[in-house]
Amino acid sequence: MNGNVIQAANVTKVYNKGGGGEVYAVHDVSLEIGKSEYVAIMGASGSGKSTLMNILGCLDKPTSGSLKLDGVEVSTLNDEELATIRNRKIGFVFQSFNLLARTNALENVELPLIYSDRSDITRLAREALVSVGLADRLHHNPGELSGGQQQRVAIARALVTDPEIIFADEPTGNLDSKSSLEIMTLFQQLNEKGRTIVLVTHEADIAAYAHRIIKIADGKIISDERNPEPRVAEPEINTLVAQEAAHETK
Amino acid sequence: MKQSRALKVAFKGLGKNKLRTFLMMIGIVIGITALTLIVSAGMGAQNRIMERVKKFGLDSMMVFAGGGREMGQPTSGLPAPSLKLEDAVALKREIRAVADVAPFNRKGQAEVKFQEKSVTTSVFGVTPSWAPVWDWDAAEGDFISEEDLTSLARICIIGPTVQKELFGTAEAIGETIRIGNVQFEIKGIMQAKGTSPGGGDMDNRIYIPLSTLLRRVMNVDHISGVKIRFKTAKDMSKTAADIKALLRERHQLASGVPDDFTVTTPTEVTNMAKKVAGTFNIFLALIAAISLITGGVVVANIMLISVNERRKEIGLRKAVGAKRKDIMLQFLYEATAVTLTGGVIGIVLGAIGAKILETVTQMPTAISWEIVALGIVFSSLVGVVAGLQPAKRAASLQPIEAMRA
Repeated sequence: MNGNVIQAANVTKVYNKGGGGEVYAVHDVSLEIGKSEYVAIMGASGSGKSTLMNILGCLDKPTSGSLKLDGVEVSTLNDEELATIRNRKIGFVFQSFNLLARTNALENVELPLIYSDRSDITRLAREALVSVGLADRLHHNPGELSGGQQQRVAIARALVTDPEIIFADEPTGNLDSKSSLEIMTLFQQLNEKGRTIVLVTHEADIAAYAHRIIKIADGKIISDERNPEPRVAEPEINTLVAQEAAHETK
Repeated sequence: MKQSRALKVAFKGLGKNKLRTFLMMIGIVIGITALTLIVSAGMGAQNRIMERVKKFGLDSMMVFAGGGREMGQPTSGLPAPSLKLEDAVALKREIRAVADVAPFNRKGQAEVKFQEKSVTTSVFGVTPSWAPVWDWDAAEGDFISEEDLTSLARICIIGPTVQKELFGTAEAIGETIRIGNVQFEIKGIMQAKGTSPGGGDMDNRIYIPLSTLLRRVMNVDHISGVKIRFKTAKDMSKTAADIKALLRERHQLASGVPDDFTVTTPTEVTNMAKKVAGTFNIFLALIAAISLITGGVVVANIMLISVNERRKEIGLRKAVGAKRKDIMLQFLYEATAVTLTGGVIGIVLGAIGAKILETVTQMPTAISWEIVALGIVFSSLVGVVAGLQPAKRAASLQPIEAMRA
């Protein structure tokens, strides 16, 4: 048992195009992500970064190659076994939040738990919402929450099962700059507590918050580097607030 | 996933889109309401027949003048005059199973007067055996005696309705009334029997000695029927055959000539009524079934649309760990919850409808646990069948495919 949470070896995803053509969305990718790492997978749209995330997150199966999560080979598991892995080991945060409409924050966060065998689901959901700073929004529906608050509900939903890894696909893509900073602060805090985070983004300044940046193009890794000076989100909020205040007084 | 949670998820899903739920439910409500109404009316009719037969007596049989096959009145306006009092006497004398006979004739629409008041009623000419054979005696005063019969006495026993209309609360026994041009002294008041199942007032009758009716009122020598009571309810069909043979012999009917009388046994009445009611009920139940099927098709259709609309929700559920079975059950439960709720509403509406029907049309109805069970079973069945295909489709969605939508 080593310290790697994700071990991908020669992972390939091929789509068959009409007329016999083949498209390599992910081409022979090997990578390892260790426990408590904060990794950004960066690339332009169509680079295959989302497909790679879907495979690493067990939402999609690779055409070939091997993938171990937490030491368990998952490339050979069936749909039902993958569902259990997703439920126990993985939390997802999506660009468009993907909350259930007309369902309050508490019930949205309970969602992964109802598919587990946990029984204290309401208590766990409340704790997760408190931890993302939404203690006073438990019974609000998504329609009554701001974008940043909705994304925090989604993060609470990803956290509630206490997973090994959190995958975040363009989590700030639909948010204004202040909300984006709040979300990035939250991720940083989670990482400091030891949570493994894989952030997928096409924006370099969002990737800059991560400690390691993997760049993807045409389904292949073109660089994999440690980020020597990760940005820190929390103080940036204060700067932003100060700037806005100055702008308003002008 | 725990079943209680799966059910909760399904009911929440329904609550989120009330219009959709309502539209799905309405067809089932109509179908089950119709089914409940029809079955309860059918059972009510059957109960009424059984009650009627029981009242008539399972150990009894009727012989009516006139052939059974010819419907309607003969051209003379009267039943075939071939059935005689002597026939009734012969039946009692020669058929061993017969305990007693109650021959009668009847003058319908007779005008009866007391002083200035008059009523229209039926006048029955009967013998003293009427009381034991029908279990129907005088409540006050006395019933017709053998002596009244032989002396062609001008006495009568009146029904409670006649008593009320002519005398009100005043004493009737001992008074004299006129039937046509003949005067009769009131000897007794009949026991009340209420409304007949056919809707007639069985208390709006006057009974006089059969001999008096035949000679003094109608001037005929035939009777309209005989009720026969047997010593036992066993071997009724054999006894019925013996009675037919004896009457044919007495009426000198050559073989091939149809009967000039009709024998009706309780089983015959029951079977005939059941057959008629049964055909009618099958027809109506078919209509209810068609409306249920239509309701089921609507449910299946809306569920399919709902699965398409909720691809994102399904994808998300799968992404956070829902298995095929969880999604399958969620949609199956949703469909069944809709139809079952519709079914329960339908049963309640049907029961209310049955009560209204009974009050308005006097048609008897009956609600039993069988009807409730039938409604619940049928409505859930429709839900399971209608929900199966949409649920399968939802369950087979891949998480990423669904999320992309």
